[in-house]
Amino acid sequence: MSTEVVVASGGLDCHLMSGCGFPAPGAEIFQFDAVFTFTIGTLEFHITKITLLLLLCVILILAFFSYAFRKPKLVPRGAQNVGEMGYLFIRDGIAREAMGKEGDKFVPFLFSFFFLVWLSNFMGIVPFAQIPVTSIFAIPVAFALIVYVTWVPIGIYKQGFFGFFKNMMFPPGVPKVMYVLLAPLEFMSNIIVRPATHAIRLFANMFAGHLLIASFSVAAFYLISASVVGIIGSAASFVVAIALTGFEVLIQALQAYIFTLLAAVYIGGALHAEH
Amino acid sequence: MINVIAAVSTVVVASGEGAEEMPSVLAVPIDELIIGIIAFLVVFGGLAKFALPSIKKTLEDRTNAIEGGIERATAAEAEAKDLLEQYRAQLAQAREEASAIRTQAQADRSALIEEARGEARVAAAQVTAAGEAQLAADRSQATAALTRQVGELAVTLAGKVVGQSLTDDARVRSTVDEFLNDLERQAAS
Amino acid sequence: MSLLAEVTGSLGSIGYGLAAIGPGVGIGIIFGMGVQAIARQPEAYGVIRQNMILGFALTEALALIGFVAPFVFGV
Repeated sequence: MSTEVVVASGGLDCHLMSGCGFPAPGAEIFQFDAVFTFTIGTLEFHITKITLLLLLCVILILAFFSYAFRKPKLVPRGAQNVGEMGYLFIRDGIAREAMGKEGDKFVPFLFSFFFLVWLSNFMGIVPFAQIPVTSIFAIPVAFALIVYVTWVPIGIYKQGFFGFFKNMMFPPGVPKVMYVLLAPLEFMSNIIVRPATHAIRLFANMFAGHLLIASFSVAAFYLISASVVGIIGSAASFVVAIALTGFEVLIQALQAYIFTLLAAVYIGGALHAEH
Repeated sequence: MINVIAAVSTVVVASGEGAEEMPSVLAVPIDELIIGIIAFLVVFGGLAKFALPSIKKTLEDRTNAIEGGIERATAAEAEAKDLLEQYRAQLAQAREEASAIRTQAQADRSALIEEARGEARVAAAQVTAAGEAQLAADRSQATAALTRQVGELAVTLAGKVVGQSLTDDARVRSTVDEFLNDLERQAAS
Repeated sequence: MSLLAEVTGSLGSIGYGLAAIGPGVGIGIIFGMGVQAIARQPEAYGVIRQNMILGFALTEALALIGFVAPFVFGV
């Protein structure tokens, strides 16, 4: 992990035998000071490392895909090949899978989500960035909110206002008595829990993953000392931190996929009344 | 039990005080939220407007090209099949023709042979008939001549025999011999 | 009343640990069943995977609520 974290946690001189306790990293490693602030109206915008990394993600995605697809050829090569793989993955693996042929209209939406979330997650293991943008709760909330305000209006538009809520709260094939229990639960589950967990799932995974890597990195630094336990422990922590970084790469891609797939499933459910 | 809770609540208070200066992990600052939404909208707008339509079109073009290629290949295959059929039909026709010609030729040949044989047979029969007629004519001629001569000879002999004494055996005998000699001379001449 | 046992440290962590038991078992069942279903009917892979992820999302929601509860209601 970056020395920044170590310094923030316990200082450069804090080692196993130096008397200070283990400076376990906590929620404070997710706090960043504003690089600069500006005000629009009454709202103050704090531009932090997170904001800048998000901006970097946006620029990278737009740059890469406009480069890859600038002059598409029938026989793809280089960047176009990579971009096409991504496009086909979203179209065939997510959109069509969750919504059928209708999903083709939503491919750009899901495509943007997948790559923005993935790259935001990926920032967690990029040297010097080393913080997943999505481990700051506001960012996944923003993404989940966009999905929420997409599928709810689509559902109301496609199924009618009452039809939408009826289909949601009274799923067919259930004994009538059960509706007393089921209707409020389904309503809660769809309208409140669904967007909340959509955001929290992504956030919690990135948060926990980053904290885990940070803990082992700090441990590797903390345990450096003139003792057998210290050397072995430090080396072991370092190896674990590296292994966890590799594991995180997998989790980052998986979470981006799950986030996008759930968005597709929600929209698909709104397009057609369930069952 | 109460003490346990009390102990825990102490911890809670302690950590709560420590964390007071720091906003909660789940805090959602409105400015970050707006920035997040704008970031997505920029990505979505940029990709949906500039990058993705072209690639979508390209993929469709490719699909069409591949399908067109398949169609072309199918057409070529059909054409090839047609040609093959045609060729095979022609070949069969030619074979048929050849065999017909062969059959015809065979028939012609046997007819010719038959004809020739018939002619030859007729000619042979004619020759045979002519030969036989000739032979019959010769034989009848010879018979007639012989009959006449024998009659004449008999008359002559009878005259000679009558002219001499029939009692003299030696004379008779000599007369006959003489007659025979005459006969031989006559034949020799 | 004498103190029999004392819990010190973060009650939130303990709460999360308890909250994660059920979803842990549930997610294990979901993916186990999902893999079985895919093994039996590989041609239905798409539908099975989608429902698997959906079930996973619903189940994991409980663990996530457990994760969030300490932050929302205090440690």
